[in-house]
Amino acid sequence: MKAGLEIHQQLATGKLFCGCPSELSEEVEGSFERRLRAAGGENRAIDAAAALQASRGLLYRYEVAATTCLVDMDEEPPHPLNAAALETALTLALLLGSTPVDEVEVMRKIVVDGSTTAGFQRTALIATGGHVEVNGRTHAIETICLEEDAARRVGETAEGVTYRLDRIGIPLVEIATAPDISSGTDAREVAEEIGSLLRATGRVRRGIGTIREDLNVSVEGGRRIEIKGVQELRMIHEYVDREVARQGVLLALRDELVRRGAAGPTEPARDLTTIFAGNVSGPLSEVSRHGSVVWGLGLRGFSGSLRSPSGSSERLGRELAGQARAVGLGGLLHSDELPGHGVDEGQVDEVRRALGLGSEDAFLLVVAPTPTKAETALARAAQRARAALDGVPEETRDPLPDGSTRYSRPLPGRDRMYPETDIPPIPVDGKLLARLRDELPERPRARRERLARTHGLPTEIIRQLDRSDNLAEFESLVQRGHAPGAVARLLTQEVPAALADHPDAVAPSLDTLDAVLGGAAAGRFAKEGIPSILDALAAGAPDLDHAVGRLGLTAIPTENLDAIVERVVRANAAIIRQRGEAAFSPLMGDVMREVRGRRDGKEVAAALRRSIAQLRAEESPAPE
Amino acid sequence: MGEEQTTDPWPELSALPMGRRVELEDGSGRTYVGTVVPHHDFSGARVLQLKLASGYNVGVRVGPGAKFRILPDLPRESRNPPPAVRTGSPGGPAVALLTTGGTIASRVDYETGGVRPVQGEAEILEFYPELGKGGPVRIVPVFDRLSEDLHPEDWVTLAEQVVRAFRDGAVGVVIAHGTDTLGFTAAALSFLLTDLPGPVVLVGAQRSPDRPSSDGPSNLQVAVQVAREARLGEVVVVMHGGSSDRAFAIHRGNWVRKMHSSRRDAFSSRNGPPLGSVTDGRLELGPLARPPFPGPARFDGPIDTRAVLLWFYPGLNPDRAGLLTTGARGVVLAGTGLGHVASDHLPWIRQATSAGTVVAMTTQCLGGRADPYVYATGRELLRAGVTYLDDLLPETAYTKMLWALGHASTANGVVELLRTPRAGEFIERHRPVGGL
Repeated sequence: MKAGLEIHQQLATGKLFCGCPSELSEEVEGSFERRLRAAGGENRAIDAAAALQASRGLLYRYEVAATTCLVDMDEEPPHPLNAAALETALTLALLLGSTPVDEVEVMRKIVVDGSTTAGFQRTALIATGGHVEVNGRTHAIETICLEEDAARRVGETAEGVTYRLDRIGIPLVEIATAPDISSGTDAREVAEEIGSLLRATGRVRRGIGTIREDLNVSVEGGRRIEIKGVQELRMIHEYVDREVARQGVLLALRDELVRRGAAGPTEPARDLTTIFAGNVSGPLSEVSRHGSVVWGLGLRGFSGSLRSPSGSSERLGRELAGQARAVGLGGLLHSDELPGHGVDEGQVDEVRRALGLGSEDAFLLVVAPTPTKAETALARAAQRARAALDGVPEETRDPLPDGSTRYSRPLPGRDRMYPETDIPPIPVDGKLLARLRDELPERPRARRERLARTHGLPTEIIRQLDRSDNLAEFESLVQRGHAPGAVARLLTQEVPAALADHPDAVAPSLDTLDAVLGGAAAGRFAKEGIPSILDALAAGAPDLDHAVGRLGLTAIPTENLDAIVERVVRANAAIIRQRGEAAFSPLMGDVMREVRGRRDGKEVAAALRRSIAQLRAEESPAPE
Repeated sequence: MGEEQTTDPWPELSALPMGRRVELEDGSGRTYVGTVVPHHDFSGARVLQLKLASGYNVGVRVGPGAKFRILPDLPRESRNPPPAVRTGSPGGPAVALLTTGGTIASRVDYETGGVRPVQGEAEILEFYPELGKGGPVRIVPVFDRLSEDLHPEDWVTLAEQVVRAFRDGAVGVVIAHGTDTLGFTAAALSFLLTDLPGPVVLVGAQRSPDRPSSDGPSNLQVAVQVAREARLGEVVVVMHGGSSDRAFAIHRGNWVRKMHSSRRDAFSSRNGPPLGSVTDGRLELGPLARPPFPGPARFDGPIDTRAVLLWFYPGLNPDRAGLLTTGARGVVLAGTGLGHVASDHLPWIRQATSAGTVVAMTTQCLGGRADPYVYATGRELLRAGVTYLDDLLPETAYTKMLWALGHASTANGVVELLRTPRAGEFIERHRPVGGL
């Protein structure tokens, strides 16, 4: 199998073609509604993906947010391309050893799912070629593009989709690798390395949703599939592996259908509404409830190909249902899952008779509000069924949270691109490149090696800091004199744990972290108290003093600690007599219950061992 | 790369026809494979623009040591057939669609990289296949120009075409027009056409139809609906009423002004609400809408174009103003506030009016009335012979001036015509509804 990645990273430079900040906003100031239609590109061809989207005839609602201007609303021509964003993309190109183009030409990429108010996304090719090295293997970079992000989908109505215009226009750097990645794990690591390079520019947005991956997967004998919009790196190998498996199933199914001599769809589709007029349950009850229609289509030789005989694994049925969903229906029913879903055996037989089918044949049923919609859905399903005789069709798929994917739309072709005539070509001159070369940030790998070496930490810890985008904080805190190990633990474990428990909390500032580490080092409280302090801060404590005070974490003076230890030891003298050294653990627990967070555990243990030893010495018989 | 080239390849490369596929080594070791697309107006020197297989265009600077070879053309991919050309169901009353060019009917020009007007009926119907949904639409190409290139003589041609369309049985006429000067044309037609038996609807688009979000298709569709269904005997403008694609405003042709350079709802009725609206397909007309005349429609020309529209501003040199208006039979001033100019302009104004030139005053506030009696300056101007034109927009006053000059030979006659309501252009009551 071969996989390629497309990584999209938002930049924090301000929007690409207007003066809005690149920030999301919860402040909605109003809304408006638009329809989009497929427009022919420069050669008058209408892209298949665009035509499908437009055929749904949806009304899109757009929320105007605090970070929205007329450009985002498609009410004003774009401003000149954001120079800082271009410089960031070029810097990345230099880091990857890519070759910048001589003149940047901004293009319009048709996208009519409503996620762009113009009906297209502006995008420009910035550089080609280059490579990234992961685990000693070199992976080729194909292209680096700069494009504008789409609007944020915030809801759905009966008429269409609601988008918020805060995200639209935020610059995205898109890095596409060559299809030379051969495992899900490699894919993940390539994505992580490119992520580090992006962060090295210092101009990327941070947090969930600010970096998204598209995966291009093809297996031997299969075709290119684009899985669009994966947000979590850790899911990449899951999507890749499952896509490989899915294509394997489809290829095996193709061989089986060809062996059987399956003929495919029996077009035209037929109106079968009368058979289901009386249904009261299941999807087909919409006939009696809403006056919907039911249409059917036969698939000669396809029996058993839609779902495995045991019903244990999905086969073609799910793919065909995706086609019905693509035109706005809920899905479809197929003969491998019938009788069931409110359809009885008699109705199955009636459908077979009406469509003239034998036992080797399968059929599909769709329920739709209009005959046109039903016919369109079945025509698409028929096309998809025919493609099954050929193997895996090229398409775009949506990633689902469980690691599987779902049909989304045909793969967009080059017909969806035409020049953005509102923006003149932008020259990339040698002077600019020379300056960017001079200012090039340290490469992530070199930086990781340097940090590991200088601070005597395992590379894996540094990698973790890099992956969680904390290298800069790490360096600053170490520079302020804190122990590298303590800083690493704070940033990779303690802070994330505190934030995980308080999803609305803001990450503590560098100064706060500095104070926390300083407090522990100065003995104001024990380092065991750090998690509780971070938790208190995340829960809303205004500052470190309040957090320490609220938790009663002020350190216990040594004489008090000794007194506590002695009290516990005396009270448990019997256990010590009985179990000797083994009594240490339960007693340590007792002492810690009283002093946790207020004294270092190591000091407590030492005091306890001293006290136990003393007791045993007192009680051991004196030598004769 | 093919055979060794010893000479600079740029002359040959730059002369390659659009659509030729080449493999280009740019002289610095980079190789591109792509299709030649035309040089952009603002592209740099020695930059060849190529469309790559991915669909992206890039500009490649061709060094003197560059090498290239021409590749065979790719097999033509099968294209979606263009939508069937339909002019609506046969029978029933027809709407005439006069086209003049402009954004509503323009597309990306691959030659220049700019936007160019669509040409011919087939191309228009390819863009607007839904046009004929409510009945037949007859397309009459009149001009093929952006609206900034239309001249007053063209208003006459358009008016004559409207009369002809009604004579040929149209129930209403739609004029697709660039938005830049659409307000001028609408106002001019309101004076040049009388006894209209149906609506004359001017319509434009603020976003070109090559983008999926264009307001052109919906504006045009609603314009055709208004032309077919509205009980109107006057010239109106139909455009978006807001940013949404659901609500459209019907403006009287001589009250309307383009108030924004790019918004969809750029057109605004001044001094009052629009005449009517179309919301989600539902047409509503307000009380001021003028019902159809029994007809037949009549062209009421000619015009005399010897007029000047002059915007006063602090620092406008009186000599320059005097020079600019020399030889004009009519001058329309867009004065400040209630209709004022600096008092050092009085000499040339007095000279002009005494020589028989009509000098008329409007307000550059674009809302409210011009009134000479409130301030001394106004009274001075009145004494200098200036004709105050109440709440007419400067553009409306200018088009009415051309029409009046065409209809009267004396200054008094022109002034008389200017001050007499003719096409609902004066609004007696300015109601405090809506914003500015």
